[in-house]
Amino acid sequence: MARREGFRRAPRAALVVWQAVALSAVVSGLAAAPLAVAVLTGRRAPGATWAAVAALALSAMVLVRLLWSGHVVGTRLRAARREHRLLVDALGEAVDDEVRVLAHPTPTAYCLPGLRRRVVLTEGTLRTLPPDQLAAVLAHERAHLRERHDLVLEFFVVLHRSAPRWLRSSAALREVRLIIEVLADRAARHATGPVPLARALVALAGSTHPETALAVTADPSATRARMALLAQDEAPARLAAGMYAFAAAVLAAPGVVLALALGSMGA
Amino acid sequence: MDQVWLRGEAGEPSVSVREVHDALSDSRDLAYTTVMTVMGRLANAGLLVKARSGRAYLYAAAGSREELTASTMLGHLHGMAPEDRRSAMLHFLGDATPEEIADLKAALAEVESRQADRSPRTP
Repeated sequence: MARREGFRRAPRAALVVWQAVALSAVVSGLAAAPLAVAVLTGRRAPGATWAAVAALALSAMVLVRLLWSGHVVGTRLRAARREHRLLVDALGEAVDDEVRVLAHPTPTAYCLPGLRRRVVLTEGTLRTLPPDQLAAVLAHERAHLRERHDLVLEFFVVLHRSAPRWLRSSAALREVRLIIEVLADRAARHATGPVPLARALVALAGSTHPETALAVTADPSATRARMALLAQDEAPARLAAGMYAFAAAVLAAPGVVLALALGSMGA
Repeated sequence: MDQVWLRGEAGEPSVSVREVHDALSDSRDLAYTTVMTVMGRLANAGLLVKARSGRAYLYAAAGSREELTASTMLGHLHGMAPEDRRSAMLHFLGDATPEEIADLKAALAEVESRQADRSPRTP
């Protein structure tokens, strides 16, 4: 699904589909072993009890791995943000409750999510961008904070870390990151129109330097994809509706499989 | 930090928690322990240098606002794993090579022309 770029035109629906797929995968992963054992062995088959115990142990291991990963990722991210917020509050000038301006010549902009959120700009950004482009960037960052994209991303990062290496999909994680950026771009486009945002993307892309602290090595094609999407219309309602229906089906799938399996056991 | 920098400029590089607390009390209702805790955290983060003077501690700025912004942010961000850095904060965008920038400018022209087509009266 990471390769179907057309889905990005309905970013909110796409994100819901990704979350549904991930959630369904987790549920299936947890239920798979016990269910397989229950279906393949009758209640009276020899060794069935041991197989059931082994299957439950496997599921428990998966669950523990998930919870542990959630804990590790969660605490590490929050600690990093807390430290960063201290630096930003101490070194930056406060424009309002949320926005801080750092005395750095390189133009950049980012947000620090969490309960005590921040939007961080540099003096370089204020010097480089005219007011309408600045407004677009601020709208983009505020959308990230308002819609809690950090929580969505955290969900996927935790799953990514919990999965065994052969099951991980870096492409999927990259796609989710991109969709989150596109969602914030949508909010900015709604506020200022596509042109200021597009110009801001070009202005800031041209000013970052790899050696600078505040630059982040990201997927190089991501910005290009975001720009292309700005030039496109909103997706037709049919596409989004279809994707939501697909998400619902994906979520229901494990339940349906379970019901069928239990039904076949009873017959 | 502002207090410490101000006093540094006025010829007083090292300050005590008491002095900072008194200066801030005029405008904000802060407990002494709060100021002490925050200054301790700033010292741990490398923004302040802590030195003992008799029974008290004195704090000095580890650099100017610009120096510390460049060095501390650099150290902090590079101390994080790249994956964490991209999850802890959400950046507006990443680096771009000159080819990508040229690509982006071409794409920008398309966005602008589409918008112009839609609303010919808007510049």
